[in-house]
Order: sequence, then structure tokens, then C-alpha cells
Amino acid sequence: MLDIYLPILVVMGIAFAFAIGSVILSRLIGVKKPSAVKLAPYECGMPLIGTAQERFSVKFYIIAMLFILFDIEAVFLYPWAVMFKRLGIFGFVEMGVFIIILLVGFIYVWKKGALEWE
Amino acid sequence: MEVILFYLTAIVAIMSAIFVTQCRNPVNSALNLITVFLCLAVYYVMLESPFMAAIQIMVYAGAIVVLIVFVIMLLNLGLAVKERYTHGMAGSGVLAAIVLFVANYFIRYGEATGTGGSVTSEVVASYGHTELIGRAMFVDFLLPFEIASILLLVAIVGAVIISKREV
Amino acid sequence: MITVNHYLLLSAILFAIGTFGVLTRKNAIVIFMCIEVMLNSVNLTFIALSRHVGNMDGQIFVFFVMTVAAAEAAVGLALMIAFFRNKESIDTDDFNMLKW
Repeated sequence: MLDIYLPILVVMGIAFAFAIGSVILSRLIGVKKPSAVKLAPYECGMPLIGTAQERFSVKFYIIAMLFILFDIEAVFLYPWAVMFKRLGIFGFVEMGVFIIILLVGFIYVWKKGALEWE
Repeated sequence: MEVILFYLTAIVAIMSAIFVTQCRNPVNSALNLITVFLCLAVYYVMLESPFMAAIQIMVYAGAIVVLIVFVIMLLNLGLAVKERYTHGMAGSGVLAAIVLFVANYFIRYGEATGTGGSVTSEVVASYGHTELIGRAMFVDFLLPFEIASILLLVAIVGAVIISKREV
Repeated sequence: MITVNHYLLLSAILFAIGTFGVLTRKNAIVIFMCIEVMLNSVNLTFIALSRHVGNMDGQIFVFFVMTVAAAEAAVGLALMIAFFRNKESIDTDDFNMLKW
């Protein structure tokens, strides 16, 4: 029963082996001559500004939050798409109502200016 | 083979669930949470529900944990590690043990009744899991499906109002 | 042979761990993650019993649980951000404005 998932297991195995292998190999083969300049945190050649754990803007949160809610909408679309031919016009109307209700939310967010990056 | 897979995944799931509750840094908790979700996705595949496994990874590991990590970075909790980050270990331990004991009692001395539904392994194999989900969702569960859209609408409006500084 | 009782026992263990985490941690975001673990353990119960009984209803229920979890994540984390703006902390010990 689980045999058909064997390729996924193989891909996962290769991914793990590659990730662990490259870390170990670079530790084994790499030349290590640390100096104060080399050990400093690197930021595109510039001298670094502040810590790495800087506070993010709340803009990121709003975008991520909208992503989740519309992701759920996309998840609902998959079984509908598989059943589309069999459900016919009834399924189309059904999903139309669902999408229109969510579209109201999208228009609200748009009008509110939550999608603008300022 | 299946038994070995079950127990290995169970060990990983339980260990990472314990790490979720015990890690000092919230980011580590979030990464362990992803491991728990992946283990549960493996179980859904073993239970012949591949579509549920896919949306488990898409929704939980792909979206909800991303949002949690965003909020951790937004509030910059990485540096604000407190001296005491837990409280009431003894009492909660006892309570959790009682929950486990009661559930274990019911599972051991009870019996999962009610067999003989129409969806057997052969049916799943011949129709495909996604199609079975679609039939149940869009024919039998039509009203809950439409109500879910209203729930999502309310969540969108509420979250924007709460999180935006000036409304 | 793995029976339905194995899955039920595993989800009971995960639920107990989630309960423990919710009760012991002080950080509100970690409490939120422990609640997600509890929700997922219940999802596992639903799917295991749905396969045992031979009925799709349990899996549809999991679908709706995921929808509610996403809505809950959006609104709950927005509440935490709003709280953090007022108090500069999301420690549950500081959630004391309704006390008097």
C-alpha cells in the first residue's frame, strides 16, 4: 500500500544526505584560518548596522495573514476542481457564492489600504 | 515494515511535541512544531488519506507556522529571553498525567464501534481520495462549506482591524 | 499490525503534551503553538476513526478544523500584536488588566 510513496522516501533521503553531507564535507575539507575580520558578521561588504534580530514591520504580518486566509480558499478549490465535471452548474454556483463572499473581504482589505506598502 | 514506520514516526512526533513545550526560544518551538506536523502528515498517508496529508503540509507547515515565525520576529522575542519561562510545572504535570490516564483508560477498556461504512480501502483506491472528499464536501456538507467562507471573511476583517495601527 | 487503538493512544499522548505546554508556559506564542499541537492530535483521532468506520465525515471535519485553525491563527496573533503594543510584552503574567 505504501509502496507508491517509495519515490518520496528516496527524494527525502537524498535531500537529507545532501544537506548533512555538504555540512560534514565542508568541515572536513575546508581550510580554517579564522581572524577577527573573518569572524565578523557579514552584511554585503558593508559594516553592519544593528543586530540581526531587528524588529520587523507589521506590514509583513498583514500580508502573511491574508496569505493564510486565501490559502485556505485555494485548498477548498482542489476537491471542487476534481469534482467539477460531475457537479456541473450546481457546483459552479456553490463555489461562486463562496468566492464572492471572500471577495467582499478582499475588497474590504483593499479599500482599507492594508495591501499598500507605503 | 508498517509497524516500524509507525513507531519511528511516533517517537519523532512525541519527542518534538515535548520540545515544543520545553524549548526556551520560541523559534525552536516553531521548528519543532513543523516536525510534529510532518509526522502527522506521514500518519495521514498511512491512513490512506493523501489529500489530508497534502493540506496538512500546505496549511499548517506552509502557512500557519510561517505566520507564527513572522510574529515572533515582529515582536523580537529572540533577545527577550526571560529568567523564568515556565510556571506550575508540578500541578500541570499531574493534570496532564490525569488527562493521559483517562484517555488511556477509555482506549484500553472501550472499543471503537460502528464499522461497515461504504468507504473501504478498495473504494479509496478506485475513486481517489480527493474525489471522495469533494463529493462529501460539496454534496453532503454544502451549508458548512458556505458558512466557512463567512468565518474566513470575519477573520480577514477582524485581523485587519486589530492589527492595523490607525483604522 | 497497527490498529485504530494505536492511533488513538498516540493522539492521547500528543494531547496530554499539549495540555502540559499550555498550562506551564508563560510566553503567549508558545501557548498558541501548544494549542496547535492539541488541535492536530484531535485531527489524527478524527482521521483514524474515519478510516476505521469507513466514512468520509471525519475527514471533512478535519478540513473545517483546519479552516478554523487558520482563522484562529490570524485573529489570535493579531490580538497578541495589539497586546504587545500596549504592554511591550506577551508574557501571560502581564495579562492582568482585567484584574482589580
